[in-house]
Amino acid sequence: MSHHHGPRQPRDLSRRAFVRGGSLALLALGLPPDFLTRSLLAQPATSSAARKKTLICIFQRGAVDGLNMVVPFGEKAYYTRRRATAIPAPVRDGTGALDLDGFFGLHPSLKPLHELYGRKELAIVHAVGSPNPTRSHFDAQDFMESATPGVKSTKDGWLNRVLGNTDCADCTGRSLKDGAAHSADHAAGQTGMASTFHPALRGVAMGASMPRALRGQQPALAIADLERFGVGGGRDAAAQTAFERIYGTDGGDLVTDAADDAFEAARILKAANPLQYRSANGVEYPNGDFGRSLRQIAQLIKSDVGVEIAFADIGGWDTHQAQGAVQGQLANRFNELSRGIRALYDDLGDRMDDVVIMTMSEFGRTVAENGTGGTDHGHANCMMIMGGTVSGGRILGDWPGLEREQLYEGRDLNVTTDFRDVFAEVASRHLRTKNLERVFPGHTIAPAKFRGVLGA
Amino acid sequence: MAPHSNRWILGAATALSLGVAALPVSAQTPADSARALHLLSRASWGPRPSDIGAVLTMGANTWLDRQLNPENLADRDVEARLKLLPTVSLSMSELYRDYSPRPADVQAARKAQAMGDSGMAKMQDAMTPAERRERAARSPQRLHAELVTAKLQRSVFSERQLEDVMTDFWFNHFNVFFNKGQDRYLVSDYERSAIRPNVFGKFENLLIATAQHPAMLFYLDNWQSVYVDTAARALQNTGPLAARLRARGLNENYARELLELHTLGVDGGYTQADVIEVARALTGWTYEPPRAQQQGQAPQRPAGNRARAGRGMQEVRGKGDVPFVFRAQLHDRDEKTVLGQKLAANRGIEDGMDVMKIVARHPSTARFIATKLVERFVSDKPPADLVDHLADVFQKTNGDLREVTRALFTSDEFYSSEYRHAKVKTPYELVVSAARATGAEVSQSRRSIDLLRTMGHLPYAEPTPAGFPAMSEDWVNSGAMLNRMNFGLDLAGGRVDGVRIDASLMPRGETSTDVLLTAVLPGIDTKRLSQRISEDLAAQSGLTQRARLQRALGLALGSPEFQRR
Repeated sequence: MSHHHGPRQPRDLSRRAFVRGGSLALLALGLPPDFLTRSLLAQPATSSAARKKTLICIFQRGAVDGLNMVVPFGEKAYYTRRRATAIPAPVRDGTGALDLDGFFGLHPSLKPLHELYGRKELAIVHAVGSPNPTRSHFDAQDFMESATPGVKSTKDGWLNRVLGNTDCADCTGRSLKDGAAHSADHAAGQTGMASTFHPALRGVAMGASMPRALRGQQPALAIADLERFGVGGGRDAAAQTAFERIYGTDGGDLVTDAADDAFEAARILKAANPLQYRSANGVEYPNGDFGRSLRQIAQLIKSDVGVEIAFADIGGWDTHQAQGAVQGQLANRFNELSRGIRALYDDLGDRMDDVVIMTMSEFGRTVAENGTGGTDHGHANCMMIMGGTVSGGRILGDWPGLEREQLYEGRDLNVTTDFRDVFAEVASRHLRTKNLERVFPGHTIAPAKFRGVLGA
Repeated sequence: MAPHSNRWILGAATALSLGVAALPVSAQTPADSARALHLLSRASWGPRPSDIGAVLTMGANTWLDRQLNPENLADRDVEARLKLLPTVSLSMSELYRDYSPRPADVQAARKAQAMGDSGMAKMQDAMTPAERRERAARSPQRLHAELVTAKLQRSVFSERQLEDVMTDFWFNHFNVFFNKGQDRYLVSDYERSAIRPNVFGKFENLLIATAQHPAMLFYLDNWQSVYVDTAARALQNTGPLAARLRARGLNENYARELLELHTLGVDGGYTQADVIEVARALTGWTYEPPRAQQQGQAPQRPAGNRARAGRGMQEVRGKGDVPFVFRAQLHDRDEKTVLGQKLAANRGIEDGMDVMKIVARHPSTARFIATKLVERFVSDKPPADLVDHLADVFQKTNGDLREVTRALFTSDEFYSSEYRHAKVKTPYELVVSAARATGAEVSQSRRSIDLLRTMGHLPYAEPTPAGFPAMSEDWVNSGAMLNRMNFGLDLAGGRVDGVRIDASLMPRGETSTDVLLTAVLPGIDTKRLSQRISEDLAAQSGLTQRARLQRALGLALGSPEFQRR
């Protein structure tokens, strides 16, 4: 977050007038929100809004055991170092790992994702991680979210910097240094979605607080619950109206501008009508926070409110003890993860051609299991990248091997791909992010280092 | 905590007279009261209804002088309140002993987790209500909640307002994070022993206190920073700790943040080489963790090393129950050069102490601290003259923070009209100033904690060493503004548990919106706000008088006027 910006652009009155005269007027007339919902959802798929690219990041907090997520069953050392926790090689009755390429296999609880791999819509990067040696969850998450390993003082998150260096698909390439200027571009009527656009909706995190990765200068929203976003939990229209009059001034300053934006965002989200949402094709999300987060992300994307980055967390990966093997603690987490992602994938349907889902976790776990049936903090891990444009059905990256002399500090999977090179590839090839040197300060970005997650 | 009913019964007469009649009417000019209001809105957590009158009566400089010598101000109300929060006065080792998870519990939980949802449910079902209560009472969340509640109690009720504000400033300057492992048991003492007693002392002493506190040593990893060769030689084959240390070697985290965030500032004129030299000078600065004490086994000390230890290579132990320890055998004894100054070879803790002196007295440090103070207490765009003046006072007084703070709050620039009511309150300032303005009784409040978390300003929960930001723009965004408005409505509507607004603000009789606004937003032009609120109330039908006042207060607390100080 820089503390030095240029002066804010004056607010664009025509935009305000348009918004006020549009959806607000309808609400003021007492028309039911689902009227708006239908009109929003009814936008033709060929509109510019539908072509907007979206990246969904899923952070597996707590350091998932990547060696049991994408199992190197072709490695003898995997079975000599692991016994109680080892996933057997694929067998015909389907009890072992789900074969990917004859060497790697998915954990059996990831079956819903195995089908995506078969459709070549899931790519995996293995032995990916950070050059920093830390085994502290706190430090490693911080480094992954700032994308500046070893530098703790980075104030903003990498996804926020992505927002600041990605031209909105609907503008004529105008710089995004200033959110108000960006809004003004939309108000100038370049697209049909001006009334439903809000700069803060470009980056949305599901949860009560803004994750480190999305914090920074670019506006973004943390949404604990889509159904309760607004004044009085979105249920006190009179109070919102009163506050709109209290905040409404001609001048406009930091506080009143943000408030005006908030009223608008609340209106837009209300119009997306979270209460009436039905997922497509009878898709069912798993119960719990993770499933709900993903369902609300699908809702936002399908409402065409301009989401370019969505972020969700899933925890419970710190399996020091009794992590289980084909079944057990970790299998249960994989079950929730894969059912959730697959539900999101199927719910978004054709829209997955414009969406990429990417998983990440702060570091991997030890190759050897410990004395309590679990694994301890390790080094490299793996990431899954999914979507219609993903060059899937492949395991990417160099496999460093699991023999003792091949391990990091004699115990952990070595890093052969810097996680920032995967982030950078996805940002530049999917979101068309520019100025990658600003998004990943201190790291040399070169397409030659990209692993080909999204083709070349 | 005072029983709620007492305050409630205080009633309209007393508190309303406090709230309104105490406003300046006598000999003082409106300019005086505006200055008093400005001072209170920056050097305290916001005016209570009676505060402006008090400042005017004794004079701003007398008020400031009293605040700069907090030991002379009785604070019995706060002391009594803190007694009701049992964990906040416990020592680090007591917290570790009583609140770290018991191995048996951890094992049971992991076993249950391994069986999936049904296992967790079974474990929950198997526990008696008493067991469940006990488990919750032992959780780190409870420690954190009590710590935050204690901080709120001090901020809202302490007579030592400036000390508390500066404690917040310096804690944030030397930020540590509650949720990083052992810091859960160390942060409470860090604020109590390293920060609060030093906020009006010498900067160098404050710096050393933080550098040697286990909370900081753990948070920024210096506890495990060792000279690789020495460590490898000295700790060969002495077990897992030694193996861990060997694998680590030099850790630059603390050294970097010391230069970048605590002293010189990022543009303060140091290089990466300086970071490494500082880290080398600080090798061996560690502490004796509570775990080792509890199990009666201090970290391994290799035999035969003592003989090699020359002069100045003594182990040094600090005071306290989780003491700072300088371990000579982990220290890099070679020569170092820090910011152009040579540190001779074959020394011990003196290396690190010299570093503290060098960085505390560096001119960049005076300027960096001055800038940060002005940003927080005067303006987002720090006036250069004031920064120069404070940096000058800092250097001339050898970092005397009482004098630097005095210079800040007595300067002409501080009182310049362009800075009045111009800083946006942080979420924490919003919550505390609302409680103070409404004379609220505050006890443990889950909703306040949730709200602070949602707004990204939960005390002790900022993970980065830079601490929470002080700039207005960092705290203003769409989601945050909705939260601020909802907080106003919820507080006024009695929906924030543990916070109860003084009854006098909600008298039974007819009270105009203007009286309410004058009490909550003294000295601010509220004509427009008053008109908007009246219009809103006019559009509401069927509200009781009390509900009307609640709504008016909620809109006032959520208004743009109340978001600034």
